[in-house]
Amino acid sequence: MSDMDDILLDPFKRLLAHICTPSVIRDEEGRSGLAQCWGELEQSGFIDALLPESRGGAGLSLSEVFPLVVACGEAALPAPFAETMVARALLDKRGAELPTGAAIVLAPPSPVVPLAAKASHALVTANGRLSLIAMNAGASDPFRAGGYADQLKGETLLEVAAGGIDLQAWAAALAAAQMSGMMMRILDMSLRYANEREQFDRPLSKFQAIQHQLAVGAEYAVSAHTAAAIAMSGQHFDPLRAAAAKVCAGEAASKLCAIAHAVHGAIGVTEEYDLQIYTRRLKQWALAFGNERYWADVLGSARLGTEAGTSADFVRLHLGNME
Amino acid sequence: MSLLSAFPRTQIPDEAEKLRPQVKAFLEKSISHMRPQDRAKTWTGFDAEFSRALASHGWVGLTIPEGYGGGGRDAFARFVLVEELLAAGAPIAAHWIADRQSGPLLLRYGTEEQRQFYLPPICRGESFFCIGMSEPNSGSDLASVRTRAIRDGHSWRLTGSKIWTTYAHQSDYMIALVRTSGEPKDRQKGLSQFIIDLSLPGITIRPIRLGTLDSDFSELHFEDVRLPDNALVGTDGEGWTQVNAELAFERSGPERFYSALVLLDMWAERMRAEPCPQDREILGRLIARLASLRAMSIALTGRLAAGESPVIEAALVKDLGTSFEQDIPEIVAASVGAVPDRDADPDMLATLAYLLQLNHVFSLRGGTREILRGMIARGLGLR
Repeated sequence: MSDMDDILLDPFKRLLAHICTPSVIRDEEGRSGLAQCWGELEQSGFIDALLPESRGGAGLSLSEVFPLVVACGEAALPAPFAETMVARALLDKRGAELPTGAAIVLAPPSPVVPLAAKASHALVTANGRLSLIAMNAGASDPFRAGGYADQLKGETLLEVAAGGIDLQAWAAALAAAQMSGMMMRILDMSLRYANEREQFDRPLSKFQAIQHQLAVGAEYAVSAHTAAAIAMSGQHFDPLRAAAAKVCAGEAASKLCAIAHAVHGAIGVTEEYDLQIYTRRLKQWALAFGNERYWADVLGSARLGTEAGTSADFVRLHLGNME
Repeated sequence: MSLLSAFPRTQIPDEAEKLRPQVKAFLEKSISHMRPQDRAKTWTGFDAEFSRALASHGWVGLTIPEGYGGGGRDAFARFVLVEELLAAGAPIAAHWIADRQSGPLLLRYGTEEQRQFYLPPICRGESFFCIGMSEPNSGSDLASVRTRAIRDGHSWRLTGSKIWTTYAHQSDYMIALVRTSGEPKDRQKGLSQFIIDLSLPGITIRPIRLGTLDSDFSELHFEDVRLPDNALVGTDGEGWTQVNAELAFERSGPERFYSALVLLDMWAERMRAEPCPQDREILGRLIARLASLRAMSIALTGRLAAGESPVIEAALVKDLGTSFEQDIPEIVAASVGAVPDRDADPDMLATLAYLLQLNHVFSLRGGTREILRGMIARGLGLR
């Protein structure tokens, strides 16, 4: 990690630790509307990290804000911080006036839009335009994780040209990055539990069957995190990079959830224990904005459409930029 | 180990990328005539002439300093070179071990005399190496090796056996891990590394024939072989530490996920001729995994270039990578077998058959999956 990451990330993580405890998350799960912490998040300055310095932002790149997005997932932050950060940069670039106090989700077609219940606005696409709508409250949150499964409706506040922006890819990339953070947390919790819990007079971590499962879990978590970093590289979000990230995140999510709950046993799904806070969200995010099947088909089609070169060339040219 | 910082975002520098078109142009000329089933052997395909042709371009011992006849380039340049060789399916086994491991090991632990003697011929593609690790009774439990070297005045006397040594029967030298003091129960203590001239009296080498009728491995017997004093590499008794320093090089490279790439691309070609939505999706999943693996491997290349030794991270890449390259033949077989009335291209079928017969080995060579997962678990703090 570069020093830049630490200068940015350390205070952000301290902020999250302060405003987003498990009890806060539980409290927010019980109600819709902006999270109590939204005001603090919005005033923290991090929210305009992607805006140019001349517009009052920090002028950072996608790769530079990537650790912040991962940290949101790791904390299961009940607020669309990453989505709002990205939406604000996009709207500002299009010359649109930024609404104050708006918590914005990206809402391309999706069976569920995570964090929508914790947002006031949504960015949607219609007829080649991006619209910002002031959302009506939804009713259906099947994962009880602050997401809406209803079609998002509301008054259109403004419209800008989409200009080649694939909102699905943007949403998928941010989903993959936050999923990778959730997976790191789930892995950490599982490692700690395996070292603490004893059966047959020894910690679970002494059992090779457990060790190997957690080693595999770590492999999936790292793979998902690396693919998410690919999606958050370059000047803008790109459908192929987002595709690689969402495929790896989706595949890793189902494996890691299974491993984490196997290690924890029944306690893992109980309301009083924190593991379920993360795994319920992870499964919700995996379902959102195109799952691994959807995005794998996008990638497979692109590979087949590129006759020249090997698959290594394809990956290098389309999925190789890490800057 | 903090997993989030273990694989830092890393881009191959432009300077290293400049090598790529040159390597591509060379491969276009030199191996386009090869049958796909032979290209599928990649780093287990032995062709001394090809290795010497590569060396004539300065591409063997690329990271060895120029003073020893090497290319003086960094680990990124080698990543670019190796990636192109593997993706094309070039037969690189002859110089592979010397290039990847023995050269760097001698550079790090060898005496100046050893470097001057061994490195220039390695870089010319004239001196091929193998690694003597496993023994008939020491597989995954490497620290239990029994082959022993006993000091005898100004020389050493070597007795014992090595097995599963890749291409020992076609190599000039072996770098072996053997016991120089203590007993097998002393485990990691008392082990040392020796460089063994395989033409010395007392050495018998028997190639082991596989079910495919290939002979990639051999078995070696050492009967009171007299080794000169300067056959010891590094420090007497430090063999285990020295061997472990090599592991990050051995396990993090693209050879841990490109072994079946030739087949993957033939399968994509077949899909272009006759589209299949189900296969297309599976292809996309493989591409996604490959993108992540490649970025992870480049991240470790950067750490190796910085002088670090990310051994546990390398184990993680190898386990994920070999799973990926093992899956490819299974996936292609499932696709071909699902359409019994469609003629398969004979070359693709031959390539598929070759890989299906050996893909189980991908997770054995260089440290088994089970050993790696144990290492990763320890690295994660499970005890």
